[in-house]
Parts: sequence; C-alpha cells; structure tokens
Amino acid sequence: MCKPLSLYFHVPFCVRKCAYCDFASWPGREGDWRRYFEALENELKDWSEITDFGRLSDHYCVQTAFIGGGTPTLAPAEVLCTITDQSRVLFPFAEDAEITIEGNPGTLTPEKLAIYRSAGINRLSLGAQSFDDGLLESLGRIHDARQIGEAVRMARDAGFENINLDLMYALPGQTMDQWIDTLNAATALGVEHISAYSLIVEEGTPMAARVAKGEAVLPDEDAVNAMQRAAIDLLARAGYGRYEISNYAKPGFECRHNLVYWRRGDYLGLGCAAHSMLQNCRFHNPENLDDYLAGGRRPDRQRLDARDILEETVMLGTRTTQGIDFGLFSGTDPARLKRLIQADLIAIENGFLRLTRGGLEVQDAVVLELLEVLGC
Amino acid sequence: MKYDQSRIRNFCIIAHIDHGKSTLADRILEKTGVMQLRDMTDQVLDSMELERERGITIKSKAVRMPYTAKDGREYVLNLIDTPGHVDFTYEVSRALAACEGAILVVDASQGIEAQTLANVYMALEHDLEILPVINKIDLPSAQPEVVKGEIEDEIGIDCEGAPLVSAKQGIGIEDVLEDVVMKVPAPEDDVDAPLQALIFDSYYDNYRGAISSVRLKAGRVKVGDRIRMMAGNREFDVTEVGTYLPLGYSPKDELCAGEVGYIAASIKDIADIHVGDTITLAANPAAQPLPGYKPVLPMVYCGIYPADGADYESLRDALEKLRLNDAALSYEPETSVALGYGFRCGFLGLLHMEIIQERLEREFDLDLVTTAPSVVYKVVKTDGTVQMIDNPTNLPPVQEIDWMEEPCVDAQVITPQDYVGAIMELCQDKRGTFKDMKYIEGNRVLLNYDLPLNEVIYDFFDQLKSRTRGYASFDYELKGYVRSDLVKLDMLLNGEQCDALSIIVHRDRAYPRGRSIAEKLKEAIPRQLFEIPIQAAIGGKVIARETVKALRKDVLAKCYGGDISRKKKLLEKQKEGKKRMRQVGSVAVPSEAFMAVLKMD
Repeated sequence: MCKPLSLYFHVPFCVRKCAYCDFASWPGREGDWRRYFEALENELKDWSEITDFGRLSDHYCVQTAFIGGGTPTLAPAEVLCTITDQSRVLFPFAEDAEITIEGNPGTLTPEKLAIYRSAGINRLSLGAQSFDDGLLESLGRIHDARQIGEAVRMARDAGFENINLDLMYALPGQTMDQWIDTLNAATALGVEHISAYSLIVEEGTPMAARVAKGEAVLPDEDAVNAMQRAAIDLLARAGYGRYEISNYAKPGFECRHNLVYWRRGDYLGLGCAAHSMLQNCRFHNPENLDDYLAGGRRPDRQRLDARDILEETVMLGTRTTQGIDFGLFSGTDPARLKRLIQADLIAIENGFLRLTRGGLEVQDAVVLELLEVLGC
Repeated sequence: MKYDQSRIRNFCIIAHIDHGKSTLADRILEKTGVMQLRDMTDQVLDSMELERERGITIKSKAVRMPYTAKDGREYVLNLIDTPGHVDFTYEVSRALAACEGAILVVDASQGIEAQTLANVYMALEHDLEILPVINKIDLPSAQPEVVKGEIEDEIGIDCEGAPLVSAKQGIGIEDVLEDVVMKVPAPEDDVDAPLQALIFDSYYDNYRGAISSVRLKAGRVKVGDRIRMMAGNREFDVTEVGTYLPLGYSPKDELCAGEVGYIAASIKDIADIHVGDTITLAANPAAQPLPGYKPVLPMVYCGIYPADGADYESLRDALEKLRLNDAALSYEPETSVALGYGFRCGFLGLLHMEIIQERLEREFDLDLVTTAPSVVYKVVKTDGTVQMIDNPTNLPPVQEIDWMEEPCVDAQVITPQDYVGAIMELCQDKRGTFKDMKYIEGNRVLLNYDLPLNEVIYDFFDQLKSRTRGYASFDYELKGYVRSDLVKLDMLLNGEQCDALSIIVHRDRAYPRGRSIAEKLKEAIPRQLFEIPIQAAIGGKVIARETVKALRKDVLAKCYGGDISRKKKLLEKQKEGKKRMRQVGSVAVPSEAFMAVLKMD
C-alpha cells in the first residue's frame, strides 16, 4: 500500500533577477532565509497531519522530490537540507527516490555539494542557459560559460551521477552557430540530461520591455523551429533521446519528477507560489513571499471533474513523446484523426497516440483539435 | 394661446453637415424659453446617443415654441428638425412638405457645399420661403460678405439683411427668430374642409403606441375621432392629440389646420403608419390624399447574424424593437450554411445600415457577424418569370437565367475643379456613364453620372474621400434598372464553398474582385493546423487563388514547477477564440473575414 507521491519545494531567493524571469523569486532577502525554511518545515509538518486526502504518510511513499527556485543553492546548504531531513522524518521515502536540487553554476562550492549528497540529494539541475558569455550577460545571468564546466566537475567530484543542464534558445541576437556551439559544449561535459527551452518573453520582464522598444529582436518562428530541430538531431547523435517537448536524456535518466507533472501523478508543492495536485484536486500557495511568510496557505482548491481530467490528460500527456492512451479516443470520429495523421502531426503506435516532431511544434493547436475530437 | 393661423410659423433648418444646424436649433429652443438653460445638453433634438456621437440627425422631430416678437404679438413657431444624410432624403422631403419656410444655414468660412445646394433645391421644390443665415461668424476665417455673394450668385436668394450668427456663442439668434416671424408665410389652410394630416414622421412610444407626427393641411382632429390612413387604408380611434415640447408631449383638445403636432391612436405596429401618408376622418374623408406619398423601399441589403448562435432570439427581439421606430428597416429570417440562423435586413443606404448595426451592438449588446451588403438584382429567367434577388445565394442556376438587371443611380458629385480628373477616373472605374458637367461657381464643378448602385455601396465613398481629400460631396437617387452582364462570384475555402462570402459582380470586375477578396481572406484567416487553399470561382471556374500556410509554431516551451495554470489559461483563450470563429467545412473563419469582401485597398 504505497501510492507514489512527489514533493516540490520552492526556494524563492536569487542573487538578481534575470532579464526574462517572472518566477516567484526575490533578490536581497537574505534576512528572510531562516524564517522561510522554518515556514517550509512547518508546512511539511502540517501536511503530515492534514487528513483531507487521508493521512498522506499512511498511504503515500515519496518517489521524487525537487528543490527548485529561484536559486536554492544560494541558501546555506545545512539550512536547506533541514527540509530534506524533515521530509524523511515525516514521510516514507522510496529507496531509489530521485531527489533534485536546482542550482546556479555561479553559486556552487565543493562543500555545499558534499552536504547535498550527504542529505541524499542525488540529482543536480544547473541553470546553464548558454555557453556564450555575451548571451549570458545579456540574459542577466550571474555566471559565465567557464563556471558551468567547473560546476559540473565539482558535482562529479562530490559524487553526483545525474546532472542536468538547462539551456535556452530563440534568444534575441542568438545565431544558429552559437546555439550549436552551446549544445556541443553541453554534451561534451557528458551530463545525463539536457533541457532545451525556447525563450518565452513574459509580460512585465525587462526582456519584454527590450523587445517592445526594439532593442532586442527575436528570431522568427522558422528560425526557432530550425534551432529546435538542430537540438533534436544533435542531441540524438550524442545519445540524448527527446522524451518531452523541451527535455532530452540519456537512456534511463529521464527526469522522473517532471514526468509526474506530464502524467498527472500526485504531487505536493511546498513554499511560496508552489502548486500541488492531489487526488485530482489542484491548489497552490500565495505567489507573494510576504503573504506566504505571514502564514497564507492554499487559498482555493479546485476539484477537477471528468472533463477537466480528460483535458489535462491530453494537454499534458501529449507533451511527452510517449503520448497518451489511445483508448481515450474509442468511439470518436476517425476521419478527423486520420486528417491529423495524414498531415504528419500525430502517430498512433502500441496503443498510444503521440505527437510527431512536426505535431510537437504546434502542440497547442493539435491539443485543441484533439479536444474537439473528444467533444470537450 | 387661442388658435390663430396667422400667428403660426412652420419652418425647418437646412444645412450642409457641420455647418451648425443642431447648435442653431439648440439656441432657438433656449431663446424662446421652451428649454431652460439648465436643461440644455448639446443637440437637444438629437436624443439618440448615436446621433450625438456622430453629430447627425437620424429621425425627424418637431418642437412647438411660443415667441413674442418685437411687434409685441405672440406667435407659435414650429421647428421641424430634418435628417441631413442622403439615405434619409425621403424623410427630409416629407418634413419640408410640412413647412412654409426654411432657414438655410451656411458656414461663414466654408460657404456653399454640395448638401447646401441639394437641400435648397428640395426646399424650392416644396415652395418654401428660404431665409439665409450666415453662421460661425466668430471664426477667424469667417468671410460673411463673400459667402453672402456666393449665395446670391449661385442660388439667387437675396441676402440683404441676412442674419449674421454665431450659434455657438448665441450671437444673432433673435434676428433669426424675427426673420422667421416676418418672412415665413403663415399657413393658409382650410380648417372647415375634411381632415388632411400629412404624416412626416412616426415612432413608437411605450405608453401611447405608434405615433404619427403630423402637419394638418386641412380640417381638425380630436380625441375620439375615427381616423383613416389613406394609403395604408387602415382605421384607428384617436386616443390623444397634442403638440411637442422639446423633451415631451403637450396634449391638446384638438389640432387644427396649419398646426404641427402628434396623433396617437393605440396603433401597435409602426408599419401601419407610412411617412408621407395622409390621415383623414373616416366619417368625413377628404376626396384626395396630399401629394407625394411613396412607399419606402430598402436599397441595400445585408445578412446580420449573431456571433454566438445562442443570441438568435435576442437579435430578433432587438430588430423588432428597432423596427418599432424605424419603418424603413426591414428584416426577415434567413439561414446560411456558414453563419447559421440570422436575418436578411434591408436599409435605405449604407449609413442607415451602419447605424442599425451600431445600434444593435451598442444598445442591445449584441456581437454580430455581417455579410457584405448587396443590392436587389432583377433576374429574368428563361421561362419568362422575373425574380428579385437580394441575396447572392438565392441566384438561380446560370442556365435558368435569360438576363439580369441591376439598379442604377443618378449620382451628383460637387467638387473643387482640381479633382475633376480624379473623380472622372473613379466614376469610370465604377462603371459610371458620364452625363453632364457644370461649372457652378468660380472653381467648383458639378458632375453628373449614372452609376450602378452595387458599385456605390462597395467602396465608392471611401475612394471619393481619399481621392479628393474630402472636398467632394456626393448625392444620389435611384433611377431604375439596367441590363448588365453580372456573374456570381463564389469563394471556396479548402475546396468548400462559403455561401456567406458569395457576391454578385459585373463580369469585368469579377477577376480583380476575386483576387482582392482572396488576398483579404488570406490576411483575415489565422493559420491553422492545415494549409488552407482560398479560391475565387465563377460557376466552378477558379479565377484566383491564395493559400493560408499551415501553422508552424504554437507551443508553450515550459510548464514550471507543476504550475499548469498558464497552459490552461492559454488553452481556454484558444478555445474561446475558436468558438468565436465560424466553421466553414474544416476551416475556422473569424467573424471579421466576412466583411473582408467589402474592404479594399
């Protein structure tokens, strides 16, 4: 009797905001670190007692945990590790649980890494973004390309055998050559996992202002697609398989935590702005750090109905290259699916409906079409 | 005040648009004291929100004002307001028929404009005494003496002593009123003859039912009388008669010859009252109706559909309500494969059409899809029968058509000389036939063309405006039907014909129109998962083709930390967007695309 559970801890602190960032993260709040981790610990304790979903510790077993941010590696490692320690006290953990910490290459030291390891953290996700110092600077990153390599070597020395690099493309001024150089530099480091995200210009960020003023020029969609295709091909040759729209891994190193999101497993998010889904009920903590520190928790719970669940299943599941259970489509109009197959947007194999490479490029539109086929 | 015809003055104000008609009317209401200053809003007579915003008068109205003139006598002044736009020409002519005089307002810096002339000619046709008034004398560019000379030379009206006015600043208003009293003839109607009341306006009042605004040309009418509509041939019992206050009614025991007022008779349907008709008494009918009645015929038609099919009932209710106050609006249900259930609506002209659309959207909060306007074509079939077609979809198959005719208008353009070439070129482009050209004054020219109405409703106004930088003015009147080589132009989306996009055009115009519509549709239809071929075709033969390329990028790169709310919001937005589009076969078409047929470069 052990249902899989994932834990997400949000650490909303950073050295400075990057030009594209609109996540819940604040620089210059060092004074709040201790209070914040205490609050996280208390929230964990609360959850070990809350019985709304049954007592979680009675019938769940933690399979993955993810400490994200912000820059979690900025906080003192021993303070940070109180949350992993506390989790293990309050919840049963699977022996092979995947426990990831997200970090900035410019904030790592061998000492910190050793503490993470001893706390059972076994996966490191580095926000590398690019190996081009000019682009890193224009993004407002606090590290340079050299520090990425150093961070990876330090992590290896500390015993990390599962490392991810986050990379970004479709950046203003980025050339195809620069992108390929970055991909090659990343694979040369021999990391197990690479996330390649196309830049999303979020409203209200400095990047959005630059774009609006014409100071930053975004590549057109053909160029963006070309960069994505280059990544798919280059990474495949280097042994990384694409398993989600933006995620690539060596065999067996697919991020289990992220797959929980796409496959709609149960996860509990702790900390400010953290989102949760438990037993088809979604809720989240206040976005604002001060509101969270003041004790604000889960303002509303949205119970999903059958239609929501189906919608989410399609919307999230088709992001993975495995796709979704084709059984969902029994009894629907085959003509419309056929059209999608003929246009090489979807494929049906081994009982799964998945999006093709071309289909993934227009996933939003394909999802809309599939939902219409399903009548929602 | 006792009824005394010699003290009655019935007059209207005529002017080119923007020359200050409504402002002068406001000042007159103020001066005679029927409106207190604190009640004044700009353009009191224009009560419809839309009228104020556009600065135009859509429906005729009348106000009765007591006025004590300098001669110490008390007079009754009836100001009859008239619409200014060409679409409402017939309503103007009925309003003029109810008057003995007209104040001609001319802008002191603009001088005579096209509508000034058109209105003057119409007033002269009705034998009205014309009182010129020079307005806007407060403007630095005002040249009252030059303008006076212009009026004398061009129209032949004596401007000696014409009031110099600034309606805006309230200068010279009294002079205008004195002129009205002294120069407008009193009515000389026979109060003892059988009743003849001219209906110059009608509208719906929630409490009184449909109401006729009338000028009594003979006889008298009181509550309890049984009246007969002479053209409509219906009878009703009078429930109320009276005169108009600026913002209401003033019930009276009786209305007599020479007076202006209203008659209510519990009439439920506005369609039972025809503007231009004559009301008489059933018991003692007049031998003849007053001259000049003609039924109002819509000239322009278009399909109006609710953007959301669920709003069909609301749209019908809204049209029904508008129709209560606008007998010129006609509508009947129609169905389109692309647009679902809606109405084919008939209008007096393009402005009338725009106003109705806007009122539907604004006053009834409806989201509409409108098809391109069409005129009424006459189809003579091979079996000899004649069919009138107001919707291209209803055109019979080619093999059943012997020939087709299209409505043609007598068009007058008045323009500064410099633009004559540009206008002739435009009229030529629009298949116009040159009739006449006259120099009307110094450097102005009056051009006379026969133009097919379907070219006029297309983009003629916009073109005229842009080619003459707004200097030319335009007026038209339906002339009749002429035989023409017309074809039905169909648009195909992904191989499927879209009925709501079909139009009837002249064969020579079909190719450029087809190409331009295809281009417009290409811009209006968003990229979708599949490539969408757009074709223009005549009877199955494709004459133009465009392609909406397939969507290439539409994906959110990241859903951060299990927060799927953004992705969900995006999905909802996309779903909403798709819901607002019409499904034509497998293609989603946004509402705006249906108007693309109209818009030209």
